[in-house]
Amino acid sequence: MSPEEKYELYERKISGELSTTEEEILSLLIEEDKSIAEEFKVYKEWSSYLEASLNMDKETVDLKNNLKEIGDSFFNEDKNKKETKVIKMPFWLYTAAASVAIILGVYIFTNREPIYNDFAVIPELSIVERGVENSNINDLEAAFNSGNYKQAEKYLLELLATDNSNSEYNFYYGITLLEQNKHAEATFVFEELMQGNSGYRNRSVWFEALNQLKQKNIEQCFLLLKKIPEDAEDYKQAQKLIKKL
Amino acid sequence: MGNTKVHADQKYIEALLQNDTVMLTEIYKKYAPKVIGYIKNNNGDESLAKDIIQETLITIYKQAKEKRLQLTCPFDAYFFLLCKRKWLNELKRTTEKEVTINEEIVSISDESAMHIEETLLFEAKDELFAEMFEQLGLSCKELLKATFTIKSLEEVAVKLGQSYGYVRKKKSLCIGQLTKLIQNAPRYNLIKKML
Repeated sequence: MSPEEKYELYERKISGELSTTEEEILSLLIEEDKSIAEEFKVYKEWSSYLEASLNMDKETVDLKNNLKEIGDSFFNEDKNKKETKVIKMPFWLYTAAASVAIILGVYIFTNREPIYNDFAVIPELSIVERGVENSNINDLEAAFNSGNYKQAEKYLLELLATDNSNSEYNFYYGITLLEQNKHAEATFVFEELMQGNSGYRNRSVWFEALNQLKQKNIEQCFLLLKKIPEDAEDYKQAQKLIKKL
Repeated sequence: MGNTKVHADQKYIEALLQNDTVMLTEIYKKYAPKVIGYIKNNNGDESLAKDIIQETLITIYKQAKEKRLQLTCPFDAYFFLLCKRKWLNELKRTTEKEVTINEEIVSISDESAMHIEETLLFEAKDELFAEMFEQLGLSCKELLKATFTIKSLEEVAVKLGQSYGYVRKKKSLCIGQLTKLIQNAPRYNLIKKML
């Protein structure tokens, strides 16, 4: 049995797709060959690791954010308790302190790290220009342009099921995923478009960079931005973002 | 561990699983000061302590989620010693010169020691798996991400414009490649011996 056949047998065993005869073959293989038993064990471990780590993403991110908030307020409270002292100061000092606070506020505001919302400009979806009356497309446009990305994703999936190489559908599908924070799936879609030759190639690089920015993967974001050529629609914005990073 | 009674502090593990803000705040109030004190006494500061505490809580959460961790000892010593170990590793990683460690003696039960050992092994394995996953080629990585997040292979197949059979075969080949990578990693064999 070739390694490929073995792996496929393991995979089908895990997903419960083996026939009785195949089950018997696998049990026999595992019983007779220690290295196969060990290999199957590791394969299963990978399967459960991937299941947990790739799926856990959203929950883990939520927990991390919550812990960060709790931690921040805990540490600030702790500091405040230690540092609260009443200091009397003359009136003019209040004015000076207020000016400093404003200047500092402006400084922090203009120098804070760039965030997704500063740069993401979602293009309007307008497919009905070929004179083809299609209620699905109308619904899709209405959903997408009103920011109902969940619904738009559904319509796009339906359209892609019959026309899966349509780069326009794929591009907007990527955006609906990105807007719903389905980052890994969005990457998949944008990367496919980046490898193709459609008119959405460069735009996909830009949106994948934004996808990385949204996840705070600054280095990945930077590397993608560097790939955007000068004649691309998003070049200027990309340069602006590079400067901010 | 099967027959041992679950400790009342299991509530903190549940709090992590449920992302329960009230209980998580309690963890910080009750257990963070000791960790902060230790890290500050040993070449660290508050902000580093903050990171160590958060990372340790995430490790515990992952273990709870993946391996259904059932705490049979008090959370206190378990949590403190995990934070301490993480901090010492961090110091080793970032400081080339020798650092003086003010050892703090914590007496722990066998039960606690066993839990700590298990969590450390879990963490070592988790890190190794994550490293190995990064070594995979981009197409395998993305295919696995898609198959494990979208769940339905049919849907992934539609998305990729491939047949169901192809996607399943490719998925099994990618996991097969990971299996080989990990079996050849010396660190994996070390961890395996300890399990």
